[in-house]
Amino acid sequence: MHLKRFIILAAMAASICAVTATAGRGQDYPSKTVTVIVPFAAGGNTDAFGRLVAEQLDKRLGQRFIVENKPGAGGNVGLGELARAEPDGYTIGMGTVSSNAINQNLFKTLPYDKAKGFAPLSLIARMPNVLVVNPEKMPVNSVQELIELLKKEPGKHTYASSGVGTSIHLAGELLATKTGVKITHVPYKGSSQAIMDVVAGHIDFMFDNIPTAAQQVKAGKLRALAVTSLDKASLLPDVPTMDSVIPGFEATSWHGIFAPPGTPPEIVEKLSQAVQAILHEPAMKEKIEGMGATPVGSTSEEFATFIKGETEKWAEVIKAANVPLQ
Amino acid sequence: MDIFSDLWLGAATAFQPVNLAYGFIGCLLGTAIGVLPGLGPTATIAMLLPITFGLQPEAALIMLAGIFYGAQYGGSTTAILINLPGESSSVVTAIDGYQMARRGRAGAALATAALGSFFAGSVATLLLAVAAPPLAAVALEFGPAEYFSLMVLGLVASVALASGSLLKAFAMIVFGLLLGSVGTDVESGVPRYVFGISQLYDGLNFVAVSMGIFGLCEILRNLENEHERSVGVRKVTGLMLTRDDLRRIRGPVLRGTALGSLLGVLPGGGAMLSSFAAYALEKRVSPNRAEFGKGAIEGVAAPEAANNAGAQTSFIPMLTLGIPGNPVMALMVGAMIIQGITPGPNVISEEPALFWGMIVSMWSGNLMLVILNLPLIGLWVRMLTIPYHLLFPAIIGFCCIGAYSINNSVFDVFIMSGFSVVGFALFKLRFEPAPLLLGFILGPMLEENLRRAMLISQGDPTIFVRSPLSLSLLVVAVLVLGLVLAPSINRKRNEAFTE
Repeated sequence: MHLKRFIILAAMAASICAVTATAGRGQDYPSKTVTVIVPFAAGGNTDAFGRLVAEQLDKRLGQRFIVENKPGAGGNVGLGELARAEPDGYTIGMGTVSSNAINQNLFKTLPYDKAKGFAPLSLIARMPNVLVVNPEKMPVNSVQELIELLKKEPGKHTYASSGVGTSIHLAGELLATKTGVKITHVPYKGSSQAIMDVVAGHIDFMFDNIPTAAQQVKAGKLRALAVTSLDKASLLPDVPTMDSVIPGFEATSWHGIFAPPGTPPEIVEKLSQAVQAILHEPAMKEKIEGMGATPVGSTSEEFATFIKGETEKWAEVIKAANVPLQ
Repeated sequence: MDIFSDLWLGAATAFQPVNLAYGFIGCLLGTAIGVLPGLGPTATIAMLLPITFGLQPEAALIMLAGIFYGAQYGGSTTAILINLPGESSSVVTAIDGYQMARRGRAGAALATAALGSFFAGSVATLLLAVAAPPLAAVALEFGPAEYFSLMVLGLVASVALASGSLLKAFAMIVFGLLLGSVGTDVESGVPRYVFGISQLYDGLNFVAVSMGIFGLCEILRNLENEHERSVGVRKVTGLMLTRDDLRRIRGPVLRGTALGSLLGVLPGGGAMLSSFAAYALEKRVSPNRAEFGKGAIEGVAAPEAANNAGAQTSFIPMLTLGIPGNPVMALMVGAMIIQGITPGPNVISEEPALFWGMIVSMWSGNLMLVILNLPLIGLWVRMLTIPYHLLFPAIIGFCCIGAYSINNSVFDVFIMSGFSVVGFALFKLRFEPAPLLLGFILGPMLEENLRRAMLISQGDPTIFVRSPLSLSLLVVAVLVLGLVLAPSINRKRNEAFTE
């Protein structure tokens, strides 16, 4: 999946939608308050995207869209609630690469039916991760040099993550499986403590979400070697992509919006089109880009195809890296 | 000097009428949610986050910060009056504060908490202004090995929390450590003791557990003998502190401030540990140590000073390094990112008005809080004269709202209810709950950092003694262990002989 083509497709789809958008059968929807479940704690990226979109849905559809945080078990608690909700469009929810493309292959039991899945509405944004090293502990200036060093000293170097099975951890595993280097994974609870230990030099390197890491890079505390998206990131325009060194290396975290399985197609369509339109507003784009992410706004079909590809990709990495099931 | 021009800039920002107003709103809200059990700053800030989208960054952050440290003031109120810690940081305040209230000294306990918090807040803010970068460097020195040694020291010191049987205190610590191991193992991702319940994957919630063991359990205890209780607390004497009180709290407040300021800088629970640590320290050094657990004013002054100092200095990693040390700071970072400011090491130089404005607002905020809280004491104390059969349904209602609001989940309400029964059983068997809660906090941090350090050193245990900081912490732990065990064992032996 190439991001550029993806964005062009998304933009084309959106413009077609804008022309042909007609009021569907779900005409009287929404007639009361809609709950937007965010399966992670308030203050994180998923929460921020959820709140930004909910605020605009409010204005566009003329009903209150209220965000409810239901954190727990890597997003499973919130998704369980979403799956159990009445599929009438009055409960929708946010989902991410972890909760909707990784957990399915990581957890032995899920609080919802994996086969039924969810009704994807739209992919809101993708956020590249960036590979950062502690410049004092790791005297390397490029991914090639890093790989050489890791090969020369196998098992000697550590990388931090925000937890087992997170997209940040699996990016590290992807590096190990693609290059054959031996590195030690040191998991933390959340990425802020992890990045702190990389800044302090207790840990050698890590992949991290771009906005916070970019600040450390600008201050010279960390050195950025590469970004994990197929395109360069606007926050770190001079940093090359992983793909340019290790072809096919792509590990972005993404955030989308879903409805419970079995939601009527006309409601799915109405919500999906509203979200797409919101994400094509210049003010919204600017806000999301300012957060270090790429706004997308795909159709529900495109989003479904995208999730399928991501799920397969991460299932392979989990298998190859022998990540224990939870 | 530079600092004066910086502070001048800060004052110019913080004293703008609009910023003062938002600071006041934050302090007021913080006090209110602090008083309401369980409803904490995290939930409140999360709810208010969308409102801040439309504000200036300075006003938004000044308000959010006010909520956070305002909650530290308010949290002690219910802890003292009805043995119900409003915040996790006021758990220890409940031990002696509630006993003071039962002896008719609720007013003095509340005044001590407010004045101690004010003093600590002012000192810690000053520290934040002059020494934030060097303190942040200290925080960076703390890697997994150092954290492990600090936790060992904390665990050893926790024995000092016990006032009764040493063996029972050990049993409670171990029980707490076990409760702390519920949830997904951070290193392997394997779930432990979760019984297939998704809500347990992130472990038991501290606030729900402590509200059950302290607050709800207290209701059960009181209902058992309502008559005795209502008589006990109605005799309210003197609202204000006597000269003797002031003399007694001076040392504890100073020590609590120092300890809280240092521990608060450490991300990941440092601020929460500070009140426990301050209490344990006072119990060792105070000349009135026999009174601890029975209503010692020192047992209120020290932890209250410590938790407020810790609350102020916990801003240091966030403001100087861009790294949030606790969930509230993570929310503030979220608020800043949406405002287009990503906190990082350069935030002081890039956004000086924001940084210095926040610092000055903390001073004015602390002043507002003490002015707000002192006159309220009379009102709070009068609450105790409400007949208990009218009061307790309201307390239960607020507890349930508070527990629900942690994760918007009914599950935490069940956890709270379950632990009220556990707490009641422990009370009947004469086990003390404080060591249990400390074990519960320390356990996961101890284990995570031990295993993380071993991963980093590739299984070489000398990592704990190679770092000078870690080594000195371990040495202190051994010394404290000697100090703690020797007199208690002697005392126990004597008791055993006399019985």
